[in-house]
Amino acid sequence: MSRAGARFGAVALPLSGVAAVVVVWEVASRLAANATLVPPPLTVWRAFAAMQGSDLPADIGASLLHLAIGYGLGVGAGLALALVAASSRALEAIVDPFVEFLRPISPIAWIPLAILLFGVGRAVPVFLIFYASMFPIFVATLDGIRRVDARLIHAARSLGASRRLVVTRVVLPAALPSVIAGARLSLGVAWMSLVAGEIVGGDAGIGWRILWYQEFFQMDRVMAAILIVGVLGLGADLLLRALQHLARRWNPAAAESAA
Amino acid sequence: MEKPLDELVRLQGVGMVYQSSRDGERVEALAGIDFSVRRGEFLTVVGPSGCGKSTLLSLIAGFAAPTSGSVLFEGRPVDGPDPARGVMFQEYALFPWRTVAGNVEFGPFARGVDAATRRARAQTLIDLVGLKGFERRYPHELSGGMRQRCALARMLANEPTLWLMDEPLAAVDLQTRIILQDELLRLWGDARAGAQRPTVMFVTHGIDEAVLLADRILVLGRRPGRIKEVLEVDLPRPRAALRGSAEVARLTAHLWELIRDEAAQAIAEETQ
Repeated sequence: MSRAGARFGAVALPLSGVAAVVVVWEVASRLAANATLVPPPLTVWRAFAAMQGSDLPADIGASLLHLAIGYGLGVGAGLALALVAASSRALEAIVDPFVEFLRPISPIAWIPLAILLFGVGRAVPVFLIFYASMFPIFVATLDGIRRVDARLIHAARSLGASRRLVVTRVVLPAALPSVIAGARLSLGVAWMSLVAGEIVGGDAGIGWRILWYQEFFQMDRVMAAILIVGVLGLGADLLLRALQHLARRWNPAAAESAA
Repeated sequence: MEKPLDELVRLQGVGMVYQSSRDGERVEALAGIDFSVRRGEFLTVVGPSGCGKSTLLSLIAGFAAPTSGSVLFEGRPVDGPDPARGVMFQEYALFPWRTVAGNVEFGPFARGVDAATRRARAQTLIDLVGLKGFERRYPHELSGGMRQRCALARMLANEPTLWLMDEPLAAVDLQTRIILQDELLRLWGDARAGAQRPTVMFVTHGIDEAVLLADRILVLGRRPGRIKEVLEVDLPRPRAALRGSAEVARLTAHLWELIRDEAAQAIAEETQ
């Protein structure tokens, strides 16, 4: 395929996939399903257009605020814990069992406790996002640091670098692609926890709004809100992907082999 | 009798034992190494695979401590790496996120040299090793030979007393290798009679290279790594003119005699 052809394909193929799904959905919900329960795309689109003047911007704003606080704290804590664990075998032996024990527990399992502790409100989704986003970046960062080429550290030390300089100028730059990959994974689970936290224990946000519309039986708006969740998550991931690309500009080829 | 001033590095009864990461087996990498590196000499180190050549170098560099014996540099025990002992690694070990200039400047930067001075010094060295015009390139954009020149310039930027070189030319093609040998000799001061030259300890697989470059050759045996013989290379300098000469060929053949059996044995064990 030619270069232009490849670029055309990169846009046209996903778009035609989306178009096919929309068509199947439209036909299926009109013929097979109950159009009130599963509204067809056109109805959803109209609902979306009608939502513009409503609380939609405020809902999105509330969700992004939950995300910013929870994700910021979670990623910060995960990074800090990874640095602590990487600094000595003894500290890793202390930190690691906690992480390995807590990591497989779904954030949703903590919702009842979080509601009792914080009450229904912002704190529940924020806590859930914090909890969920801590682990992927912890694991990826620790792994990235562990895989830093020992010769690079030796080289820096023999060139006169202090231990602090080795961390800031060798270990962190070498581990940066892993850190950002971890941040992307964290963002994915954070976004999922956001909806769960807002639905079960929140009082604002796009996830909470899904439940609100459901209680008023506005299924077209429920669907529209779900799609908005998807689009926002995709946008956030694209942002981090751009950052990832930037962090690897010194060698795009080494990105996957992490050389 | 050597005068104490003449010895830059002293190894006393150095032994190194470590646990193999593969099967936890105890491996005796070095045993009973008693040796001195003379100030200003070009010492090459040869031996079959597994003779502990690289281990010996990393002990002097300070990356590891010997399990027995002591390593002295300028009369003081080595504890950890030091910019006075510059290191050049087998696979370059350049910082991939730093440009050529950034790599060469790293040593002076780490030691707190001000920006203008270190930039000027880096530029001088980059010109000297023939990388002018490639200052802003990243290592992955360079050929193997260029990467090795960059690694050399990075080591030289600290003006180390001792150059520790671990098979620095093993990863480049033969023609590049010959050119880099000549350049290395030139930078070391091969052509300057009676010059104050730096001290070089150069580990290599290439026995012809070991002869051509060296004032002395340290021949190691394996299992455990130990000193088999020390050969004086009494050939005039500059050496580039002697490439392919009968004297070099004779010494190379002699050196091969010394390590042939053990080299064959090492290969046999590796292919088992």
